[in-house]
Amino acid sequence: MYKWLKPYVLLLPAMMVILGIFIFGLAMGLIQSFGYFPVVGLNKITLKYYREVLTDKTFLSSLGFSFYISLISSIMSVVIGVLLAYSIVQSESKKGIEKVIYKLPIIVPHAVAALLVYNILSQSGILARILYSFGIIGDQSEFPSLIFDKKGIGVILAYIWKAIPFTTMVVYTVLSNINDRLLEVALNLGADRRQVFWYVLLPLIMPSIFSCFIIIFAFSFGAFEVPYLLGPTSPKALPVKAYIEYNNPDLTHRPYSMVINMSLTFISVILVWLYHKSFKLISRYDG
Amino acid sequence: MKRMKRRELIFKVITYTLIFLLLFPLVVLVVWSFTKNWPWPNIIPREFGLRGIKYVFGPSSKSLKILLFSLWLSSVVTIVTLLISIPAAKALGVYDFKGRRIFKMLVLAPVIVPSVAVSMGIHVTFIRLGLANTFLGVVLVHLIPCIPYGIRILTNVFEIIGESMEMQARVLGANPVKAFLYITLPLISPGLVSAGSLIFIVSFSQYFLTFLIGGGKIITFPMLMFPYIQSGDRMMASMYSVVFIVSSLIFLVIMEKTVKTYYKAENYFYI
Repeated sequence: MYKWLKPYVLLLPAMMVILGIFIFGLAMGLIQSFGYFPVVGLNKITLKYYREVLTDKTFLSSLGFSFYISLISSIMSVVIGVLLAYSIVQSESKKGIEKVIYKLPIIVPHAVAALLVYNILSQSGILARILYSFGIIGDQSEFPSLIFDKKGIGVILAYIWKAIPFTTMVVYTVLSNINDRLLEVALNLGADRRQVFWYVLLPLIMPSIFSCFIIIFAFSFGAFEVPYLLGPTSPKALPVKAYIEYNNPDLTHRPYSMVINMSLTFISVILVWLYHKSFKLISRYDG
Repeated sequence: MKRMKRRELIFKVITYTLIFLLLFPLVVLVVWSFTKNWPWPNIIPREFGLRGIKYVFGPSSKSLKILLFSLWLSSVVTIVTLLISIPAAKALGVYDFKGRRIFKMLVLAPVIVPSVAVSMGIHVTFIRLGLANTFLGVVLVHLIPCIPYGIRILTNVFEIIGESMEMQARVLGANPVKAFLYITLPLISPGLVSAGSLIFIVSFSQYFLTFLIGGGKIITFPMLMFPYIQSGDRMMASMYSVVFIVSSLIFLVIMEKTVKTYYKAENYFYI
């Protein structure tokens, strides 16, 4: 009886949390972004806040900055992550410690990743000290400021450090499960190692690379800690900007921060949509 | 043959260089945490010391209490997330039903949509419901970033084991509870360990959600650590970070060992 109901009943607890907190939270944010926030006496639905925020220069430069950081971080992480995974597979030693130890950054929180970058790249950091001892720089101040800088190098490096092991883990799992015969066939037919990589392996791992890219991009686009700790005062990353607006003691200011939040959400959703679109394109390689 | 050797060597060099670059910052972190005096431009500290660890675990410090509280909170989050994820993953992994794709998209969406946006949106409602600044409220909001990982991993597991084993038990007369406890649970236990570890990590390292919804009343270890990182107090910040990393490692190992001894989790059936 009612057998068709079973999957829905099983999904009920998860959906209660997802709809009750996740979707509801987003909906509340959306409503407030249209200027409806009765608690502080804002009752009129308006596009005013969107108009103001989306034409604001500091918002646009923050948007650009966040986009740039996420794009560079995710591309670099994916490229280096794949290189590491491929190298581990190729240099396969029997029970290599390298298969475990590279995963360590996964359990390290982003705030600590920011500290690691600070320890190494600040002007009194270890890298500046090493360069000094080789006589390459004569003083702390000659070391370029790589953190709190407008190019976001510190932020990007913190994200890359966290994301490389993640990509490597995912890609390594796929690579080590690929049937060796596939490679032998290609080699027998006269392909060299490089061709095997580009025309056999890469298409097979492409879906995982893509999903890693999206996850890393979305995370670095929407996360607060790293740009808050290592980012420049201006332009601020979008999540930092949203939080600062949110913290404004004048509550009628809330809609501004919600507009920023909705922009973050909107761009992430677009990204997932693009991902599904392009996934269909590349999945002809799949299987 | 010689060419092969050289190729292998190149990849070994790449592997170890990259792993070195990933681990070197952690080595510096450990060195900093046991440093007493490390002036510019010394490459190694002038003096080592135990001030950091004494401060963190000292009798007047609340850090140990907060660490234990933090571990407890994340354990609760992990258990609740698993309890929610097991049935959902079974539905998504075993059955074919209308709207399956949409459900799957919905439960995975929190990985992509920034939790900053979700938490700021829900904050006022949580305040009104009396959930803000409470343990329950923080647990509830931690579920959001954790659920996708739980459901994703366990769905893969259920896709592999299917329903046949459980059905077999049912046909032989086991009631649903028994079939679940004695058949399904042992089968999915390796998946539970990997899902549980990931959920725990996500919850344990959460800063912003706890900070916003906990409102300074619910204090977890990352919140204790954050001001030190922010102020650039490298020795203390490094010590807190080392304590954080070591305690999560210990916790994960204990969790894996417990589940493995309980189920003698040799996974005969899949992977």
